Amino acid sequence: MKHLIACLALIASPLAAQDFSEGSEARSWNLYAEVPAKFDAEVVDVLCTLTGDCPDDCGAGRRQLGLVRTADDVLVLPMKNSQPAFTGAAVELAPFCGQTVTVDGLMLDDPELGANNVYLLQTIQAADAEKIKANQWTKVWAKNHPDATGKGPWFRRDPRVKSIIETEGYLGLGLDVDQNYIEENF
Amino acid sequence: MKKTCTAALSVALPLLFAPLGAQAAEGTRIQVTGEIIDTWCYYSGVMGSPDAVVGSAHHTCALWCSAGGIPVGLLAEDGTVYMVLKVGDDAEAAGGDTLLNLAAHTVEADGMLYERDGLKYLVVADVVSDLDITNQNHNDYGNVPPFSIPDPNK
Repeated sequence: MKHLIACLALIASPLAAQDFSEGSEARSWNLYAEVPAKFDAEVVDVLCTLTGDCPDDCGAGRRQLGLVRTADDVLVLPMKNSQPAFTGAAVELAPFCGQTVTVDGLMLDDPELGANNVYLLQTIQAADAEKIKANQWTKVWAKNHPDATGKGPWFRRDPRVKSIIETEGYLGLGLDVDQNYIEENF
Repeated sequence: MKKTCTAALSVALPLLFAPLGAQAAEGTRIQVTGEIIDTWCYYSGVMGSPDAVVGSAHHTCALWCSAGGIPVGLLAEDGTVYMVLKVGDDAEAAGGDTLLNLAAHTVEADGMLYERDGLKYLVVADVVSDLDITNQNHNDYGNVPPFSIPDPNK
């Protein structure tokens, strides 16, 4: 047992201190806690991994997907894709459900806030395939919302978002509160 | 020593790592009260301080991020963030209707907690009560980000 503990201590420090920034070409977002990180990982359905509730397609982009890092078996949660447009990463990763891919992006590391192993995904490379940008979300949204026409980005035209704002207001406290706030502040 | 380590690790490492990757984790039932938040703005600081990216000030942005599929969290009163993976029968935690309709609301939730690699994940069995938006912080922070309410004069 003493030997085993000594051996584990020998391997534990390199794993804990592992630096995934080597070779990363991730673009900075000038975030306080960002750290470039490129690594190999399996794309998993987080709910499936934790609870055993596992649809065949990982939820087809509607469940949160995770990245189980090959080097250390750590489950990384991708929160953002590469578009500066309030868009997540599950749609980008869904086509790679169950596959091992190489990802590049920015890890957020802010233990004070509890930001551990959360990630902004910028590129994905599957085996024997070209590297692709993780920027498909708005294209998928446009395909699914052909009637959401008009000016402005997707989040101004999304029917579900518009419907909630029309009833609850921008502040979520009712239309009267919105009206008073807008009169005072614009 | 090297030989001993190789032998010991060849037995111990598979035992250490296999259960994490191959089997479901053990959950703990919890009841927790907190606000349904947009975790990206909260963790990244991209829109301002943590106190500014919650509540009524951030309601519209929380809608955008939830509809956009960014992970939704439950920010408990003690500051702990729980990543919500499912609410009731709705496992669509990436842009689904249930979480979208709860954006910025304070809820009392009953569910199962799973912890892995520094994050807490919550599978909500039941929203015991939906208290609507209780954090009316727009008078302190304005609307965050400022363009979340279109300027009526433009």
